Amino acid sequence: MKYANRAGPAFLVPALLIIAFVLLFPIFQTIVLSFGRDSTSIFTGYEYAGLANYQRLLNTPRFITSLNNTILFTAVTVPIELLVGIGLALVLDRNFRGKGLVRMAVLFPWALPTALNALMWRWMFNTEFGLFNSMLSDMGLIAERINWLGAIPSAMHVMMFVSIWKTSSFMALLLLAGLQTIPDDLYEAGSVDGTTRFSEFRFITLPLLKPAILVSVLLRTMDAMRAFELPFNLTDGGPLTSTETLSLYAYRAIFQYVNFNLGSSAILIQFIIIMTISVLYILMIRRGDL
Amino acid sequence: MFAKCSRSKGLFSAVVLIMIALLALPIAAQGNVELTLSIGARGFGDAAPILIEACENEVGGISVEWERISDVPNESRSIYVTNFTARNSKPDIIAVDVIWPGDFAARGWVAPIEDYFGDDALAEYLPGFLAAAQVGGSTYAIPLYIDGIHLFYRADLLEKYGFEAPSTWEALIAQAEAIVEGEGNPDLAGFISMWAKIEGLFMNWLAFFQGAGGSFFDADGNLGINSEAGVKSLSTMVGMLGSGVAPESILTFRPNDARLLFQQERAVFLMVQDFVLATLTAEDSPVKDAVQFTRVPYFEGNDMTNTTVIGGFLLAVNKHSENVGAAADFIKCFTSYESQVQASLIQGKVPTRPAVYDDERIIADAPGVAALGANFVYAFARPSAQTGTAYPEISEIMQTEISAALLGEKTPEQALADAEAQILAIMP
Repeated sequence: MKYANRAGPAFLVPALLIIAFVLLFPIFQTIVLSFGRDSTSIFTGYEYAGLANYQRLLNTPRFITSLNNTILFTAVTVPIELLVGIGLALVLDRNFRGKGLVRMAVLFPWALPTALNALMWRWMFNTEFGLFNSMLSDMGLIAERINWLGAIPSAMHVMMFVSIWKTSSFMALLLLAGLQTIPDDLYEAGSVDGTTRFSEFRFITLPLLKPAILVSVLLRTMDAMRAFELPFNLTDGGPLTSTETLSLYAYRAIFQYVNFNLGSSAILIQFIIIMTISVLYILMIRRGDL
Repeated sequence: MFAKCSRSKGLFSAVVLIMIALLALPIAAQGNVELTLSIGARGFGDAAPILIEACENEVGGISVEWERISDVPNESRSIYVTNFTARNSKPDIIAVDVIWPGDFAARGWVAPIEDYFGDDALAEYLPGFLAAAQVGGSTYAIPLYIDGIHLFYRADLLEKYGFEAPSTWEALIAQAEAIVEGEGNPDLAGFISMWAKIEGLFMNWLAFFQGAGGSFFDADGNLGINSEAGVKSLSTMVGMLGSGVAPESILTFRPNDARLLFQQERAVFLMVQDFVLATLTAEDSPVKDAVQFTRVPYFEGNDMTNTTVIGGFLLAVNKHSENVGAAADFIKCFTSYESQVQASLIQGKVPTRPAVYDDERIIADAPGVAALGANFVYAFARPSAQTGTAYPEISEIMQTEISAALLGEKTPEQALADAEAQILAIMP
């Protein structure tokens, strides 16, 4: 058995090489580029510029705005998604007829590509032709059409709403997996002791669900901090830069201004923030308390 | 046994296959010269395959593959940035927006091609348009078609209220207000355009600005935006939004959103590029008989100013192409007099050779194209050739500051002063 295993690592080499090439090299290049000037590659014409890009970013109001937007977006959407997700998961955990169908329906928003979702909502929130304005004015609730995506801060609210609609089901899926690991005996023991519905949730479900909650919140936080397709397709970062996220800002720096160095610095700052948050979460999971 | 190993075997074969494919690439390119032409599907539409085939036959020894790229300039530009940064030799020929050649040339992405044409041949193209592709005495792209901004209007509504097509902004605003009030239809907007934070917004403001007697760079090359004309133009735009002549949703409109609203008989005036004309006058268009167009207005007392902002596309050759000469020959054919006549007749493309506007076939079968030509007497280009690699950022600054004023976040004066400060900081 031991002998057979020795060949194992050798078989991994091609895969590791590919991973190193497509994963580690770009990360390394991004880090090096972020300290460069007017360079698009680390092999040709690289010029070291120290912290110049970082200095410029911190003095660029637009970058700060995109940073704030990203943090606000994450801070609002993730907790709401968690609450909605717990609710959905509790419902889905029940035994009822047509459970499979309902589970599939709940997962549908998550299964659709974000870009498609965003375009779909963009039409529904369209000021002139959109579903919502048409419904609201037909019901006589509004006299003038609401400029959902063309005003500050309503564009950000719409973006948050679409994100919550889409990713709550993802939260629900992860939490459902957590719920199903809770042994039924605990609830039985609880009912023998005469627990109420609420204390059952408070003292049995919630503590045992904590690991699942932390993992799902971690994944969603990382995802929300990287939000790109949603603002890109829903609002294009507008109006002004009120829905521009860090990813969108970095994308523009690289592909519109062809400033790979500035864009790389922005990505690296984003990376450090996400890293820090993730490490904190992971420490919490390790310590096993909140 | 086999099933167990299949994963690492699969990976290994994949690596080997990729290596073989990489080695085989240059071999496949020999023989008949194979060129790739990257141009949008909407950009040249039905005319593309027809003209490609005609030019393959005329040039001889080449076969051209059509790579359909996005028609949204920023999207296709992103693809080009990746492609040219990687020094890819394909596509050989690319369609470039009029604001790109200065930037692309400065970055060494496109090849100078004036030697394949010669001065006489170059002189046959609209000089104002060709100038956008000329940097330091070299020509980096050849004009393919123009997409200028014009003022489209509902002739039926104007006639009903006894108005002539407006030539000034003052007249346009008065007419729009009178018609909207007279019609009493809450779904009818006076003026619509593309005021989302896009390049088109900057073009829009430039048209207002030039019509107020302004110029982005003055005769001495100084930035002229923070001026009386600048404030007047931006204040007028803000005022149109405030008074309801322009609906609030205009701030989310891109060209096609505005076109759609106009086509549904929900606007009196529409100011966008001429590519909408083909759709607006199509058989199934509700406004096909009512739509007419004129040049972009100016402010009273500035009637000699050029207000037709030109956009459009040129063809350039990838600097790393293995067949720059063959590519240039193809472009020569693709933008020839006869090709441009065909492109106008088939797809309504607006020619970049002044002589084509007088062609009998155009006058007879594409009167719309011939009429658009008259507005190009007042043509002006955006300041992209002068600003080179800084243009995309300058445009972005302008879009942001104009939006800030339109959204009421800043006064027009403050927005222009802020724009000026930011642009001066990054100007080369």
